[in-house]
Amino acid sequence: MLAYGLFLLSGLALGALYSLGGIGLVLLNRATGVLNFAYGAIGAVGAMIAWQVLNWGGPEPLAWAASIGAGLLLSLAFGRLLAPGLAHREPVVKAVATLGFAIALLGLMNLIWSITPRSLSLTVDKQSVAVLGVRITGTRLLAIGAGIAITALTGVLLARTRMGLMMRALADNREVASVLGVPIRKVETTAWSVSGALAGFTGLLFGDLVRLDPTVLTFLVIPIIATTVIGRLTSIPVTFAAGIAIGIIESMLALYSPLTPFRVAAPFVVAIAALMWMQRGRYLTFAGED
Amino acid sequence: MKRHRSTIIAAGAVLALTSGSALAAPKCGLNNGTKATGQPIKVGAVVGQTGPDDFSASAKAAKAYFTCVNANGGINGRPIEYLIQDDQWNPEVAGLVAAKLVKDEKVVALVASGSFVEMGVNAKLYAAEDVMSMAAACAVSECFESKNIVSTNEGPLPSSVGAAQWAVTKLGSKNVICIGLNIPSVGQYSCGWTEKYMQSKGLSGSSILMDPASADMNSAVLRAVASGADTVLVNLPAGMAAGFLKVAQEQGIRDNFKWISSTPLYDKAIPGILGDHWAGVMHVNIELTPIEGKGPDATNWREVLDKYGTAQDKRDTFSQSGYLSARFFVDAMLKLDPAKIDRKSVSEAIRAIKNEKSDLLCGPYYVGDGDRHMPNHANMMVQIAKDGFKVVGECTGVDSAYLDPIIAQEKRLGIGK
Repeated sequence: MLAYGLFLLSGLALGALYSLGGIGLVLLNRATGVLNFAYGAIGAVGAMIAWQVLNWGGPEPLAWAASIGAGLLLSLAFGRLLAPGLAHREPVVKAVATLGFAIALLGLMNLIWSITPRSLSLTVDKQSVAVLGVRITGTRLLAIGAGIAITALTGVLLARTRMGLMMRALADNREVASVLGVPIRKVETTAWSVSGALAGFTGLLFGDLVRLDPTVLTFLVIPIIATTVIGRLTSIPVTFAAGIAIGIIESMLALYSPLTPFRVAAPFVVAIAALMWMQRGRYLTFAGED
Repeated sequence: MKRHRSTIIAAGAVLALTSGSALAAPKCGLNNGTKATGQPIKVGAVVGQTGPDDFSASAKAAKAYFTCVNANGGINGRPIEYLIQDDQWNPEVAGLVAAKLVKDEKVVALVASGSFVEMGVNAKLYAAEDVMSMAAACAVSECFESKNIVSTNEGPLPSSVGAAQWAVTKLGSKNVICIGLNIPSVGQYSCGWTEKYMQSKGLSGSSILMDPASADMNSAVLRAVASGADTVLVNLPAGMAAGFLKVAQEQGIRDNFKWISSTPLYDKAIPGILGDHWAGVMHVNIELTPIEGKGPDATNWREVLDKYGTAQDKRDTFSQSGYLSARFFVDAMLKLDPAKIDRKSVSEAIRAIKNEKSDLLCGPYYVGDGDRHMPNHANMMVQIAKDGFKVVGECTGVDSAYLDPIIAQEKRLGIGK
C-alpha cells in the first residue's frame, strides 16, 4: 500500500508540471487560436539563460526574472512579428509555423550552449517535506502550488475580466471580433506575453526537476499537448486535471512491470482514450468548426 | 639604434618562445619536421556531432594528430586528407554520409568515428566494400559485433560489467540494479550482461530501463529503492545520470546503497554538477586510463591537441580514444609502400595490427580478421572527489562470458597481455 502512495505522490509532482505547461498553451490558444509547439523551446531558452546567469554568479531572483523575461520576449516576438502573417490561415498551418520556430530555437541553443552535462539548482530544491516516506522538494511543491494558483487566476482572467472576454471573442471568430471593435493587436500581445512568461517559468521548473537539456525540454511540449487535447484546447480546469491524471498514471505504471517500458506513451494513450470518449456520437476534426 | 634594439628583443622573444614550444613538441608519425607534399591519402570519419549529444571529440583528436603527422613527413611523404562527416544522430543521414565517403570519396579507411547510430547502419556497407573502420567512440552493440569495425573504446558492456565486478570484489555488493537506457543495443545489451555476470557469481542482478525522453526520474529512483538491491549501477548518458542522482539526493537514499557508474560520469564537469553530496560515494568505471595520466601517450595526446587542435576540443575519454585510433592507424600505414596504398592494402595492414601498446590502454590493441572485435576489455575505477576524480581500482580484465569468442580469438592470434 505504501508503494502506491509513493508512486501517487511522485506522479502528482510530475503531473503538476504537465498541467502548468498545458495552462499556458490553452490560454494562448483561446486568445489567438494558435497551438504553440514552440512552448517547450521557449521555456528551454528561459531555463538555459537562467543557468547562464547563475553560472556567471548572478543572484537567483535575477535568474528567475531572466527566464520569465526571455520567455515573454521570445513569445511576444513570434506573436507580433510572425503570427499576424498567418492569422487567416488554418490552425494546422499556424501550429506548423510554431514548430519551425521551436526547431530554430533548438538549433540556436545547441549552437550557444554546446552539449555538456549541466544541472540547474535552485534554493527551493533544498527545502522538502516528507509525505508517506517520499520527500517532496520545495520546487515540486512550488510546481503544484503554481499550477493551482495559475489555473484559478487564468480562469478568473478569462471569465470575469474585459480582457478575458475579448480573448474569447477573438478566438471564436477573429473577423467578427474585429468588426465589433475588439482591439486585436492589444489582446494578442497580452496573450502572447502571458503565455511566454508562463513558458519561461515552467521551463525553469522543468530544467530544475527533469534535466537541463535543451532537446529534452523542447520536446516535453509533446506530452504537454496531450493534456491540452483532453481539455479540448479551451478548458483550463480540465487541462489542469488532465495533467495531474497523466502524471499519476505515468508514475503508477512503473509498478506494473509488463507496461513499464511503455510509460512514456501514457500521455498519448490517455489523450486518445479521452478524445474517443468525449466525441462519442459526434464528428470532430483537428481544424474544428465541422 | 632604438629600432635595432627592439628587433633584438623581438628576436630573443621568438627564440625563447620557439625553444619553449620545442620542449613540448608532440611526436607524430615519422616526426621529421618536414611537411608532407605528396598525393593525399583520403581517410574518413562519421561522427554524431549535432543531436542529443556531441560525439565528435574522437574525430577532433584524430584530426589534430593527422595534422601533426602531415607536418612531420606524413605517410612516407604523402599527407592524410581527413574527411569528417556529421550523421546528425539520424540513421538516414548516417547512411548517406558513409556512402559519400566510401563510394564517392573512396577513402582507404575510416578512423576515429564516434556515433550512436552510424555503426549499426553502416556495418554492412563497410563489410561489402571491405573498408575498415577504426572507430573510437562506440556506444551500441553492433559496433563490437561487426567484421569491419574495431573500436578503441569499450562501450557500455565492459564498462558496466567492470563496475559491477569491482563493486562485488571491493565493496562486497551482492545485489546490483542497473539503471540503463531502454534501447536494445545499449541498455538491454549492457545491463543484460551485467545481470548475467551477477548470476554467474551466484549473486543477484536486475535492471530498470528508462526511455531517453522520460521526464520522470522519480519513479526510477523509487523502483530502485523497492528492488532490494544493495548497489545502484548508473549506466546512463551524463546529463540523464545527473538528473537521476539529483532525484536520489532529494529522496535522501544515498546511504542506503553503494554507488557505481559506467564511463559517462567520467566527465570533468560532473564533480562540480553533482556537488559534495556524491564526493567519496560514487565510483566510476573508466574505459581508458585517467585523463591527467603522465605516460608518453597521455602526454603526447595533450600536446598534440594543444598544438594542432583548438582550445574548444574536448579533452575526454573519447578524445584519448580518437588519438589512439589515429596513432595505431598511422603506425600501420608507415609500414606500407607509399606508392601502393589503396583500400585493399590498407584493410590488410589494419587487420595485421597486433600487440600495439599504449599507456592510455589497460591492455594491448589488435585487430585481426575475426567477425567481431573488442580489443579493449580491461578497465579502471575512479571515485568522484570534491574537485575531480581519484583512482581507486587499477587495470582489471572484465570477467564476462560475452568475451569468450574474443578471448578465443586472442589466443589464436597470440595476443600477449
